[in-house]
Parts: sequence; C-alpha cells; structure tokens
Amino acid sequence: MLGRVTELGGEIARDYEAAPLLIAPLKASFVFLADLSRRLPIPHELEFVELAGYGGVRPGGHSGIRLLKDLDLSVADRHVLIVEDVVDTGLTLNYLVKTLTLRRPASLSVATLLDRPYRRLVEDLPVRYVGFTIPDELFIGYGFDLDEQLRNLPDIYYLRPPAA
Amino acid sequence: MALETPDFQAYRGVGKPRFANQAELECAKILDYYGVPWEYEPRTFVLERDAEGNALEAFAPDFYLPEQDLFVEITVMKQSLVTRKNRKLRKLRRLHPEIRIKLFYKRDIERLAQRYHLELAS
Repeated sequence: MLGRVTELGGEIARDYEAAPLLIAPLKASFVFLADLSRRLPIPHELEFVELAGYGGVRPGGHSGIRLLKDLDLSVADRHVLIVEDVVDTGLTLNYLVKTLTLRRPASLSVATLLDRPYRRLVEDLPVRYVGFTIPDELFIGYGFDLDEQLRNLPDIYYLRPPAA
Repeated sequence: MALETPDFQAYRGVGKPRFANQAELECAKILDYYGVPWEYEPRTFVLERDAEGNALEAFAPDFYLPEQDLFVEITVMKQSLVTRKNRKLRKLRRLHPEIRIKLFYKRDIERLAQRYHLELAS
C-alpha cells in the first residue's frame, strides 16, 4: 500500500510547480490523505470537507446533497487536488468537482486511492491519479469502514459477503 | 401499493414519472439527491419490425442522463433470468452503436443499496 502511495506522491510532485491544496472529503479518505501528504515531497496544504451522505435522508425528507463542513481556505486561483478514497458511481465526486469549480481554482484534479468503475454514471471527471483499480467487491480497513468500525486496520481487506 | 412520487429537482422529463418498482424510484431519488439531471423512459427504440413496418419488439431504457448522454436500464430480476434483457441490449447496441447504455443488475442495485443505506424490497 505505502509503496503505491509513495509512487503517487512522486507523480504528483512532478506535475505541480506551485504548492497544491489537497482537499479530502471525510471520512474514509483521511488515512490515504495522511500517508499521501507524508510522501508528497513538495510544499502543500491540507483541507477537509464533509458531504451529507444519501443515507442521512429521512423518509419524506427528500432533499439535495449539501456540505456539512465547508472549506476554511479559499480555493480561488489555487491548484486543487481532491484526494478521494474511492470513485464508484462518480455522483459524490461530480458534486464536489462542480461545487469547487464554481469557486474558480487555477486547476482541479483528483487523486483516488481506489477506482471501481463498474457502476460509473458520471464519466467526465478529472481523475488524474489512481492508486488501484479494484474488483467489484467491498473493502474495509485503511479508512474504509463497516458500520463505522475497522477503519483503523493497517491495510485494505476484501469483505467476504455472508453465505446465502 | 402505489409508489411515492416526490417533487424531484433534477428531473428533466415531461409529466410525472411512473416507476415500475421501488428500485427505479430509489435510483431516481439518488440521481436527484446528487443533482444529476435525469429523464424517465424518454425514448423507445424499435428493435424489430414486421414486413409492414409495425414494431414487433421495442426497448425503452428506464433513465436517460442528458449531461452524460447515457441511458441506464435497471433490472431487479435474478441474474439467471436476465437473458432476455441482455439479448435486447445486445440488439440495441447492434442497431444503435452510437447509444451509450448501462445495465444495472440486481447485484448492482444491492451494492447501491448497501452504499446508500436503502431499504429495497427484494
């Protein structure tokens, strides 16, 4: 895992002349962000956002996605790199990209630890760095949770579905 | 029991959509939640005609996402029963290679349900 994160840090360092602003959506990406930041040998800053997940919508309370925690820093004229845990349907990332684009960054790209492209609904996303393209399975550890547990496992593990 | 019909914000179709099942409704709600414009069964593709030009077989994908130029078909049938739908899809792709379409199987819907914490009737 750390070998691949180190490679990504090297790729990103080669591509950016000015210090990028790394933005991680909470929560699952925080472990990847921490490791990537420590293996990114150029100056950079860190930020977090938190989006209200669809699971939080109550019956009858249908509404749109929103930011639970917004950025503290401005992204205007900054080189922004969104650091994602996984890109699946692309719906969440699409919202984040659109929202940040409205704030006029100098550039906006995405680094994702995992890419699971099988159910991708939004294709035109600026995903520039991919750690691993994974099979269509569920994973835990390294920030990924099972009912908020097991995020602290040091590596990523395939979650075997219960026997039918 | 009739399915609920929320006031959708990202729906771009004409008339109120009438979903065939709970899975279609939930997919519509997810698209709407994330602000991705969508239409419901906006187009029917004729797959086969008789000698007089009458349609013998047609296919109307469930969703169309105009910003993605993508059709999405939802099926909640068991994997072993989707042969007919797969055949229709292959036919559509052969007749209209320019069409972008994705088929979401029961397994995909179940994965989405896990991810988005949905309660879907099986």
